[in-house]
Amino acid sequence: MSVTRRDFLIGSAALAAGATVTTPFLLPKFHSDQRPNRSRVAILHARQYSNHLDQILAAGLRLFPINVRGKTVVLKPNLVDYIPSNAINTHPLLVLAAVESFRRLGAKSVLVAEGPGHQRDTQLVLSQSGYEQYLRDEKIRFVDLNRDQLIRTPLRASYTGMKDLWLPRTMLEADFLVSMPKIKTHHWSGVTLSLKNMFGIVPGARYGWPKNILHWKGIQESILDLCATVPIHFVIADGIVAMEGNGPLNGKPRPLGTIVLADDPAAADATCARLMGFEPSRIVHIREGSRFLGNASPGLVDQAGEILTAPTSPFQVVPEFQHLHAFRSAHRLTGGETQISRWKW
Amino acid sequence: MTTDPIVLSDLLAELALRQLPCGGWAALASSSQPAIEPTCYSALALDSAPVGDIARAQDFLLRTQNPNGSWPVFPGDDQEGGWITSLVVMALRDLVPAIPARLQGFHWLLNCAGKEANWFWKWKFRTDDRHVRFDPDKYGWPWFPDTVSWVVPTAFSILALNQIPCSCGGLEQIPFRVNRGIEMLMDRVCPGGGWNAGNGVVYGAALAPHADDTAIALLALRDRAEDPVVQSSVGYLERTAPALTAPCSLAWAILALAAHRRAIASLRTSLIARPDLSSIEDTSTLALACLALDYRRTLSAFGVTV
Repeated sequence: MSVTRRDFLIGSAALAAGATVTTPFLLPKFHSDQRPNRSRVAILHARQYSNHLDQILAAGLRLFPINVRGKTVVLKPNLVDYIPSNAINTHPLLVLAAVESFRRLGAKSVLVAEGPGHQRDTQLVLSQSGYEQYLRDEKIRFVDLNRDQLIRTPLRASYTGMKDLWLPRTMLEADFLVSMPKIKTHHWSGVTLSLKNMFGIVPGARYGWPKNILHWKGIQESILDLCATVPIHFVIADGIVAMEGNGPLNGKPRPLGTIVLADDPAAADATCARLMGFEPSRIVHIREGSRFLGNASPGLVDQAGEILTAPTSPFQVVPEFQHLHAFRSAHRLTGGETQISRWKW
Repeated sequence: MTTDPIVLSDLLAELALRQLPCGGWAALASSSQPAIEPTCYSALALDSAPVGDIARAQDFLLRTQNPNGSWPVFPGDDQEGGWITSLVVMALRDLVPAIPARLQGFHWLLNCAGKEANWFWKWKFRTDDRHVRFDPDKYGWPWFPDTVSWVVPTAFSILALNQIPCSCGGLEQIPFRVNRGIEMLMDRVCPGGGWNAGNGVVYGAALAPHADDTAIALLALRDRAEDPVVQSSVGYLERTAPALTAPCSLAWAILALAAHRRAIASLRTSLIARPDLSSIEDTSTLALACLALDYRRTLSAFGVTV
C-alpha cells in the first residue's frame, strides 16, 4: 500500500485535530502534586464532649512530628448554621481543646476562622452554637471569613474552569491551617469532611449565602480547586457525634465516639469515609484528590491510635449516594463492629 | 440609665470614626479594604447625623459604580456587579447628582434575574433537578449573575425598585419584576412561616427559618401584610426575636416588626443593653444597630410606609 503526499497531509491534519481535542482531557487539571511520600492518621477514642478533650487531643498530636513554634495557626471549624439538637457544627469544646494544644506547642498565635455558608449573621451562629462564650473566656480571636479582607487568588487547579477566586487574607497568610470538619453526610457531595470544609473560606460577601457559584461550577470540582489553592496542613475531624442521612443540616446525629487526626486531608477523609462505612474511591473529590492532594490508599497511610473499624451499619445517605456504601466480603466479627480488613474496599 | 438617644449618638460617633479616607467603610473594624455593603448601611445611618462625612461616602459610592450600571462588592472587584446594587440605589436616594447613576442601577437590576428565569433551567428544575421544592416560574434576583434567586437579594431588589415613582423610560418592566419577586418570596416560605436563605424544603425536609432573612423579606412584603404567609412569618419573627442574641438579626427584626406595626420596645431595650455594642467588629452590624434605633427614618429610607 502506498501513501500519497495528499494522504499523509490529511492524516497529519486529522492527528493534529484529534490531539487538540483530546489533550485537554488527558492533561492533569492540577498545577502541582502535593502528596507526601507517606501520610499519618490517628483515630482517637472520645466518648463525649468534655473538658478532658484537651488531654486526648494533646496525646494524639504527640503522634505527629508537628512544629508550630512561632507560627500563626488558623483553625477552620465547620460552622454552617444552628438547629437545636442537630449535630451540624464542629463542637466548640473540640476547637477549644485544639487552641490549647497548639498554644502549648508554642504557636505564635492560634485563631479560629470561618465563613458560615448558610447563615449570614455569623455572630448569631457563634452565639447559638456555644462558641461565643468560649472565644471570649479564652481570649481566642475569631475571624469572620465571610467579611475578611479579600485578595484575588489564582486557582492552582482547573476543575471548575474558574481562573481565580477572591479569598480571605487570613487564610492565605496562615502558617499552619487546620481543617476541623464535623464528620457528616451531605446531600449534594456525599460527605462533608476536611476537604469540603474548605467551602467555608469562600467569602459570602463576595459570593453570596450559600456560596451558590460553587454549586453551579460543580461542588466536587470546587472542592478540588479550593484545596489545591489553599493547602490544609493538618486535620482534626469531629466524629464524637457525627451526622448521617440528609446532611449537612437536616441529618440525624450519629454517635461515633471518634476524633480523626491526620497530616494529610485526603488520608483523613478516606479514613473518615471508611469509618462511615463508605468506599472512599466512590467519593469523587476524595478519589480525584488522591491524585494530587494527598494519599487515600491505606498502603500509603501509617495508622496510629485506635484500630480502623467500619460501623455495624453504614451511615445512612440520601438515595443518590447509596453507591457510596462499601459492601461486605466476609463474615462479621462478633462484638458489634467489623474490622476494616474484613471489608472489601 | 442609658437611653436610646445616648446610645445612638455613641454608636454614630463610633461609626464616623471608622470611615476610611476614601469615604467608604470596611466590613470589619480591623480591615482597611473599603466595601460597598457597610458603606451603604453607614451612609444611611449617618444621613442626618452631625458626625461623619456623608458627602464623601456618597461620592465614594458614585465613584465605584461599574460601567454596566451595577455596583461591585468592593473597589477593584470584578465588574459584573451584584445584589449590592439594590442597596446602593437606596443609599443614594436623596442625592440629585446621583439620579443618572441610580437609573443605570435600576436598569441593571431589571436585566438581572435568577438563573431559573431562563427556559432551559426552568425545564431542568421541573423535570430533573427536583430535590429543592420551588416553582421556577416564580423567580427573583440572585446574589450574583449566573446563579439562582435567593431571598435577601430578591427582597432588597423589590425594596429598591419600589422607590421608582413611575415605570417609564425603559423601566416598564418594574411592576412585572416586582410582582414576580413577591411571588417568589411567597413560594419559598418555610412551612410554618419565615424564610431560610432560599427555599423552604430540600430533600423533603423543612428548613428552619432565619430571623434576618425573614425580617428583610417582611420589609419587602410590607404591602402584603394581610397575606396569611406574611402574617405567619411575622408571627414567627415575633416569637423568635426576644431570644435573639446577636445584634444584626435583632436589628433587622426590630425594623421588620416596626414596619408591620408590632411592639418593639422590649427589643430595642435588649439591643441597647448589649455591653459591647460600639466595639462590634462587624461594621454593617454597628450601622444596622443605629438604623434599628432610628427605625422610623430607616423605614422611610427603605421606602416602607408604616
